[in-house]
Amino acid sequence: MIRLTIDGQEVTVPEGTMIVDAAARLGVDVPVYCYHQALGPLGACRMCLVQVEKMPKLVTGCTTAVTEGMVVHTKGGAVEKGRKGVLEFLLINHPLDCPVCDKGGECYLQDYTFEYGPGRGRFQEPKIQKVKNGPINDLVLIDQERCVLCQRCVRFMGDYVGEEQLLLEGRGVETVVTTVDHQPATSQFTGNVIDLCPVGALLSAPYYHKGRPWNIDRHSTVCPHCPVGCSSLATTRESHIIRLEGRPVPDRDWGWLCDRGRFGYDFGYHADRIADSWVKERATSAAQATRDVAEWMQQTNAQYGPGSIGFVMGGQFTAEEAHLIKKFAHDVAQSDNVAVMRNVRGYLPAALNGTFQDLTEADTVVFVGVDPYEAVPVVHLKLRDRLRHFSQLKVLGVGPRRLTRDTMPGRDYLVASQDEAVFFARALAAAAKDGPGVQTLVDSVRDYVLPVSDADIEAFGQALLDAEHLSLLWDGENAAMAEVLAVLAGLREKPTAVLPTFGPVNWRGYEQAGIDPRYDNVEELLNKTRTGEIRMLVLWGADLTRDLPDRQLAEQALAKADYVVSAQVVPPLDMPYIDALLPVATWGEVEGTYVNMEGRLSIGAAGVQPPGQARPTRTYVANWGRLFRQDFGLDDEWDPFDSAQGDLISRAGNNHGPAQAVPRPGTRDASQEWTIIEGDWVMENGMPSEILEPRETEFVARVSPEDAARLGIGEHGGYVEAQTAGGTVMIGVQADPAIVERTLWIPRGSRHDWAQHLEGLVKLTRPEEVPSV
Amino acid sequence: MFEGIKAMAQGLGSTFHALGQPRDTIEYPEKRREYSPRFRGKHMLAKDGDGHELCVGCGLCEAVCPAHAIRVVAAEAEDGKAVSWTNRYAVDYEVDMIRCIFCGMCEEACPTNAVRLTPFNELAASDRLEMIADKEELLHPPVRK
Ligand code: SF4
Ligand code: SF4
Ligand code: SF4
Ligand code: SF4
Ligand code: FES
Repeated sequence: MIRLTIDGQEVTVPEGTMIVDAAARLGVDVPVYCYHQALGPLGACRMCLVQVEKMPKLVTGCTTAVTEGMVVHTKGGAVEKGRKGVLEFLLINHPLDCPVCDKGGECYLQDYTFEYGPGRGRFQEPKIQKVKNGPINDLVLIDQERCVLCQRCVRFMGDYVGEEQLLLEGRGVETVVTTVDHQPATSQFTGNVIDLCPVGALLSAPYYHKGRPWNIDRHSTVCPHCPVGCSSLATTRESHIIRLEGRPVPDRDWGWLCDRGRFGYDFGYHADRIADSWVKERATSAAQATRDVAEWMQQTNAQYGPGSIGFVMGGQFTAEEAHLIKKFAHDVAQSDNVAVMRNVRGYLPAALNGTFQDLTEADTVVFVGVDPYEAVPVVHLKLRDRLRHFSQLKVLGVGPRRLTRDTMPGRDYLVASQDEAVFFARALAAAAKDGPGVQTLVDSVRDYVLPVSDADIEAFGQALLDAEHLSLLWDGENAAMAEVLAVLAGLREKPTAVLPTFGPVNWRGYEQAGIDPRYDNVEELLNKTRTGEIRMLVLWGADLTRDLPDRQLAEQALAKADYVVSAQVVPPLDMPYIDALLPVATWGEVEGTYVNMEGRLSIGAAGVQPPGQARPTRTYVANWGRLFRQDFGLDDEWDPFDSAQGDLISRAGNNHGPAQAVPRPGTRDASQEWTIIEGDWVMENGMPSEILEPRETEFVARVSPEDAARLGIGEHGGYVEAQTAGGTVMIGVQADPAIVERTLWIPRGSRHDWAQHLEGLVKLTRPEEVPSV
Repeated sequence: MFEGIKAMAQGLGSTFHALGQPRDTIEYPEKRREYSPRFRGKHMLAKDGDGHELCVGCGLCEAVCPAHAIRVVAAEAEDGKAVSWTNRYAVDYEVDMIRCIFCGMCEEACPTNAVRLTPFNELAASDRLEMIADKEELLHPPVRK
């Protein structure tokens, strides 16, 4: 620790701290442009000049590390003169067009000039003109005239994200920020440069000219698009969400968002948004739909007795809403058949659930079936951050495709999804021969043939055991992994953290509300529906056809139920089976708690009104309660924070019983030429967005570059014919080097109808050319 | 009794005296008063010589207004269809004449001298909605007859 004096106050900080950070500890504000704690010092803008005793000249506070006994002055004539000079220089070619600049009112150039700058400039010559409102891509605009050349954006994209798509071009006063080869930046993290840019040079295209700091409201919320649940701020104006910004949380989160989250906030206003109530395919009043559904429920209960109505929670509801549904089901609808919609079979007990803190301490990270870049993008950035501080970070991928990438280099073990658990079990058995439970794990798979050599398997097991701090990301596809992970955690004495990347985004919140989120539960509920024990299905945001891995079960249950009621934000694929479609309020329209993949509770604020007839869950259950003439205690407040430790859910209760053997995977049909694999991809999470349309592709399925060449698919993708057991469908495909040959990757829960019709894929062929006349 | 007559005569005296004096009232609306050119009445939005609106929709008037009487919604002009002299313009511009206290701060804050308070002060209406002046109305300031 080092002691120094800043403006007459003493402060003790760790070695290596920069003067600006030490000053911040004392609440002394030193103006900075280029310095950002996540990016580290650069010393490009000279805004942070301070005076250090015994140094002949002013020094930059962001690149000067503290030393013992240093005496720093951040005020006084010399510093003020230095700052004035820097600002006068920065403003020489600045267009001074604050009235038409979107950053006006929240711009550090305005603020610092007001606070420290000269009253007027002395520069008389004409200003240099550069590109105004040029595109970085479809979502981000650049005004080169306003840029102060701090290089935050360039360094963020290049060093931090690792995708060098922005650069400085030209020299001296002609220097501008632009994209590589003047091509649109394609990274999925480009939106962050808008938040990073201290001035009005980088702007959000969808927010362009839409608001001013004084006519907007900012609501603290979380992104609803993937289980990361990034902390963010929703900007609203006149009951519309018009922007999403990152919300840094001190010591925990830099406030990065991926472009999916930052720009995908508009699903509430999309043309597809359900705003009317539909009963038996006819639009009706909200009151009538509520009455009809209540009548069906009463009728079903009267005829078949308690337990004949099944409730399935999906979507992006809050934990409080899940609690209301659970309570309504139990108290009023007399049913305990309440389940969570799942699209994979895995479940992770809270006791094994790690936090993002584990990622910042990890020395080994294992991706089990998941590519964080696509499924949980900001986790990829968190890992990049770790890699910057700890270059020896060992990254291992286990899954049916390559999961590491150039920006997250590591080693991949290519095994089929169904073999993942076997691979882990065998690796543990090889490396920790007599560890507790290890031999039981491999009981039935000792001789199972894996496509990885024994030496590699053992090395992998050793890596798992040797890691000082092991973090695993798990996509939940292979349910038997839960068993393996529990045994692994038991074997290791050092920290072991698992982060589940599967959805629905708030499944932990639903679990906190008392609904069993395991796949078995929803499967059982649907089995009961199929056999006629449950006669009515209430799908609260759940879309069975799209999400349930067992498509047959979904169809049979939907067909068998007397009534299917579905509360949705956008039309589900279940549509043909639905008797009543209820418009329901969603994220941004209801306040409530979300629990993310690290088990952290956050509040999503309500900033806008739901459109049309859409109403919050509370309104529906209250109305139904009234129609049932039953007051079921809407007032008894349930608070998910009560059972939490701080804002983390309780990890207690790892009552893991004796280890169970990993089941032997079924043999694959060798005659099948193609393997279909699925993966989560935030761009294809089913939420429509007009803003993101330019980024979307029709070619969502992927094949290896070799297969693509064989199928004649060009650089940006193309259509191929897929011959399946059920007939031929056209699918949009593109090449991806992460996919292995003879494998077709499709996004899980795709909005594309054909994704549900690929069972029994026989082959892919080039579509017949239309014969030319 | 004599006292009474005296008092009445005095009163009538003042009356007849006042009859000959100049009047303080005018016969509105046939006659109107002259105001100082700096009188602060209803707002207007000005255009430049080329017919482009001066207002760029910056919202500074909205920010400064102590009565929250102004609402500005800005937008980007389509290429080649400039409304103001930049690519940003006000799609909606409303002044709530009931709220306005005619302080003139909006005029002072405007960086482009677009919003101006005219001497027009005939603001009566039979409906509250009519008292909200929209952009069209403000672009065509009424002339006093
Ligand atoms: S565009 Fe913004 S962030 Fe990038 S160098 Fe210029 S001022 Fe800095
Ligand atoms: S990583 Fe997930 S939660 Fe975070 S911004 Fe992207 S989609 Fe939203
Ligand atoms: S004159 Fe004053 S009160 Fe009236 S609109 Fe302008 S700033 Fe607001
Ligand atoms: S009238 Fe002036 S201050 Fe008001 S929005 Fe227009 S340009 Fe800005
Ligand atoms: S902040 Fe120190 S030089 Fe830029």
